[in-house]
Amino acid sequence: MSKGEQFDNKSQQDDVRKSNIMSAKAIADAVRTSLGPRGMDKMIQTADGEVIITNDGATILRQMSVSHPTAKMMVELSKSQDIEAGDGTTSVVVMAGGLLNACSGLLNRGIHPNQISDAFQLACKKSTEILQEMGTPVDFNDRESLIKCTNTSLSSKVVSQNSSLLAPLAVDAVMKIADPLDNNADLNMIRVVRKLGGTVDDTELVDGIVFTQKAAKGAGGPTRVQNAKIAVLQFQLSPPKTDIENSVVISDYQQMDRILKEERTYIADLCKKIAKTGCNVVLLQKSILRDAITDLGLHFLAKLKIMLVRDIERDEIEFICRTLQCVPIASADALRPEKLGKADLVEEIGTSDGKIVKITGVPKPCKTVSILCRGSNKLVLEENERSIHDALCVVRSLLKRKFMIPGGSAPEMEVSQRLMEYSKTLGGAESYCVRAYAEALEIIPATLAENAGLNPINIVTTLRLMHANGDKNAGINVRKGTISNMMEENVVQPLLVSSSALELATEAVRMILKIDGFVPTL
Amino acid sequence: MLVLGKLPGLEGDRKSGQDVRTQNVMACMAIANVVKSSLGPVGLDKMLVDDIGDTTVTNDGATILNLLEVDHPAGKVLVDLAQLQDKEVGDGTTSVVILAAELLRRANELVNMKIHPTSIISGFRLAQKEAIKYVNEKLSTKVDKLGRDALINVAKTSMSSKILNINSDFFAAMAVDSVMSVKTVNSSGDVRYPVKAINVLKAHGKSSQESRRIAGYALNCTRASQAMPTVVNKAKIALLDYDLRKYKMSLGVQVVVTDPSKLQAIRDREEDIMKERIDLLIKAGANVILTSKGIDDLCLKWLVQAGAIGVRRVKKDDLRRIAKVTGGTIMLSMAGMEGEESFDPSMLGQADKVYEERVGDNELIVIEGCANQKSGSILLRGPNEYTLDEMERALHDAMCVVKRVLESNEVVPGGGAVEAALSIYLENFAHTLGSREQMAIAEFAQALLVIPKTLAVNAACDATELVAKLRADHYHSQQEKDAGKFKEKSCSGLNLRTGVIHNCLQAGVLEPTMSKTKSIAFATEAAVTILRIDDMIRIDKTEDERANM
Repeated sequence: MSKGEQFDNKSQQDDVRKSNIMSAKAIADAVRTSLGPRGMDKMIQTADGEVIITNDGATILRQMSVSHPTAKMMVELSKSQDIEAGDGTTSVVVMAGGLLNACSGLLNRGIHPNQISDAFQLACKKSTEILQEMGTPVDFNDRESLIKCTNTSLSSKVVSQNSSLLAPLAVDAVMKIADPLDNNADLNMIRVVRKLGGTVDDTELVDGIVFTQKAAKGAGGPTRVQNAKIAVLQFQLSPPKTDIENSVVISDYQQMDRILKEERTYIADLCKKIAKTGCNVVLLQKSILRDAITDLGLHFLAKLKIMLVRDIERDEIEFICRTLQCVPIASADALRPEKLGKADLVEEIGTSDGKIVKITGVPKPCKTVSILCRGSNKLVLEENERSIHDALCVVRSLLKRKFMIPGGSAPEMEVSQRLMEYSKTLGGAESYCVRAYAEALEIIPATLAENAGLNPINIVTTLRLMHANGDKNAGINVRKGTISNMMEENVVQPLLVSSSALELATEAVRMILKIDGFVPTL
Repeated sequence: MLVLGKLPGLEGDRKSGQDVRTQNVMACMAIANVVKSSLGPVGLDKMLVDDIGDTTVTNDGATILNLLEVDHPAGKVLVDLAQLQDKEVGDGTTSVVILAAELLRRANELVNMKIHPTSIISGFRLAQKEAIKYVNEKLSTKVDKLGRDALINVAKTSMSSKILNINSDFFAAMAVDSVMSVKTVNSSGDVRYPVKAINVLKAHGKSSQESRRIAGYALNCTRASQAMPTVVNKAKIALLDYDLRKYKMSLGVQVVVTDPSKLQAIRDREEDIMKERIDLLIKAGANVILTSKGIDDLCLKWLVQAGAIGVRRVKKDDLRRIAKVTGGTIMLSMAGMEGEESFDPSMLGQADKVYEERVGDNELIVIEGCANQKSGSILLRGPNEYTLDEMERALHDAMCVVKRVLESNEVVPGGGAVEAALSIYLENFAHTLGSREQMAIAEFAQALLVIPKTLAVNAACDATELVAKLRADHYHSQQEKDAGKFKEKSCSGLNLRTGVIHNCLQAGVLEPTMSKTKSIAFATEAAVTILRIDDMIRIDKTEDERANM
């Protein structure tokens, strides 16, 4: 390294840090306007011309193809919040942006990055404690409060006017599959099925399974079966194929007849075996090797009055089997009556946009549930699905940590106030940094107010005053444009969402702070 | 408002804040302007020529928008909107687009007046809810009161803006009869009118007046061979979904012969396999054979010998409907359960008569006197392809409308009456509200007037004066004290032929309630979707994606 560069080392480090902070902040600014119930949507046109309209922070960031490494870290940040809590993906990024802003101030004052980082860690620890104190325990059987939490999460989405339908739906779905001993819920056991057409109001919870494909009835098979006995087949109902190198050689005309007859008997036997088990509905897995079923197979199944749903994806099999409490059948020899699943009714239902197959009345106790998600166009439909996902996650976070705290930026303000006081007990740069951290948290109420078309300075200062006077639950009432008690307004959210957002944002900021060099290896 | 430039590290463009809203609104206005002049009975048609030179002449909003290649994402939302209306209602596609664009335009003005978009959105939502409630409670009339005439009038109203206008009496009756003829009751007891079950055929030549309904099911196909009979009475119809061609061994089977005499035997066998299948069909009594695949000359010979009609390349949808109508079953294969081949006579469909008819230059196969009379066919005649296509679209719209009325049993007056009434009602409603939504609701009320205004402008009437008169009528009818005196004025709408105001309910200008409520709901929904956007990110293709192109 030449001498000149070495001398320049200090300023280079500053530059790297500054550029990192700048680009991360730019990402935070990009999603800022979509925070809160009055947040706006983003329209994203992807490289292949597809249009997405969304309000979900994680989705927006996932779609923006950013190349700057620290910007990518922000995207990752929202992703991990999505995995951990499922909601609050926008706030975590906005919060990180606020913290970074505070950092650049502190750095300009000449505080060493490590000192800032440690102080932030301390502040974060303290904040989670404060949050914990604010939390009210919630009983998982208390459906009302769960619905309240879900409502808060849905209020910022495009589908907010349907929250009265979707919130109870999400709560019921999670309650159904929840494992009370494990304090967790496997959201894979909730199958969200999208079907275009209808309106969001037609979204429904189905105690069973919904397939978006229609029943295969080319040969006139049944489309409605009561007291169904369902076989999940993983083998094909088509003639076996020879390997490419091999071929069947015939030299006589009688052999032609035999080939034809063999093909027919082979498939007829398969179908007869299926029928013998008493099965009357077949769910056939998609096959990549050869046709899952040929016309001949369709014909026989129709003759035996067996309803067929084809093109079942491989990854759906587990869910189906768990719902129907059956065993997938991988070969014709393994067909046994005890491997079949039972359901009261399997029927094909016409919707305004094609047909769907519904399986209802599945055996109890059933630990799975399907949600049939509807929307008048693709954009609304997808946003509906994302919102339902968020709502489900909110309920799950309540299951993981059974506490809820007020929403409407009350917790952020409270944490900010308490940290301010706490900072006074500390000394040196630490005190300074914790104070900056506390101030940075005010970005959440400020953004919320700004998005609602309110005066941020007015609102934030009033809010600060109320919290200083001990009004812990005071938050911004976006609907009325005033400040009120969030617990009374029923604006509540799970503790996990806020605490994980704080922790994740702090950690990401600390990591960005510690970077002082940027070495592109290309 | 926060306006950011290019985002560092983002490969693409980004626009945010007011810019993007204005841009979106402009795009939507541009699209609405295209269809604006085709609204209403005196609306004009559009001629669209695509890049390969295909020409479409139409007045149907959904069709026009479908053919426009809209690039702008917000514009696409509007195109989707028209398609949605087309799918859910089948008519009113033009008005829904115009209404949505007008709502957006007014909303954008409000934003410029420093009203926050979220307040506008909640105002629009509230207005929409009130409007739909008002339509359902006050404006709609049960169709039982009006009878069959109402159905004809509804169909006529829908057609009035289309090419069928001149012969609307004739076609309205045709549409109503056709829809009535496919009435079905499904398993859960609901009465349905599947418009899809009505087969619309088009044939060049003669005037549109010569169009007719065909009792039974008509197919746009011809006999496979001229030697076949043109008429078969007491037809037994086999519906096949497989080839009637010389049998070929499947892939992976090789024929290796050492003795030349065996070669002939194999060839014979290939023919015989087919002959046996046809024999089975004939033996079962089939004398009309429809297949979705081909029939080769060899098989034709046997069919001709048996005196049966064979039709090849029948569309699968047609086969399915014929199966329903005649009580037959589509056969995918003739295989029996024991590996042998057989054909069960119960699979055959029944009809009194199957005959071929020459229409213009083409032949039609008509299946008459089916066991199950749940289908209808309409044969449209017209001078050229464009006219025929447009006639089909117009008829489709009309049939959809009749179906909606039959299913929901409620109609509202047309001619801009509903919009004018709602406008007055919502304006009064806005005055009762003391919140930020008031302005938005008032604008919503004003926006609804775009429909009567456009109608009047298209008819070359004095829009301002007519709409003013219209509003005065509705104002009086909604006043409590005058309610009795001006009651019939609540149905006042525009008469665009004479340019005066008349009672649309009495004049028979009717629309299904559902069409109106849905179009208000959809238009609001679309406007809200676009209004909520304050940021647009357009992502460029990456280097390797470009290389792959």
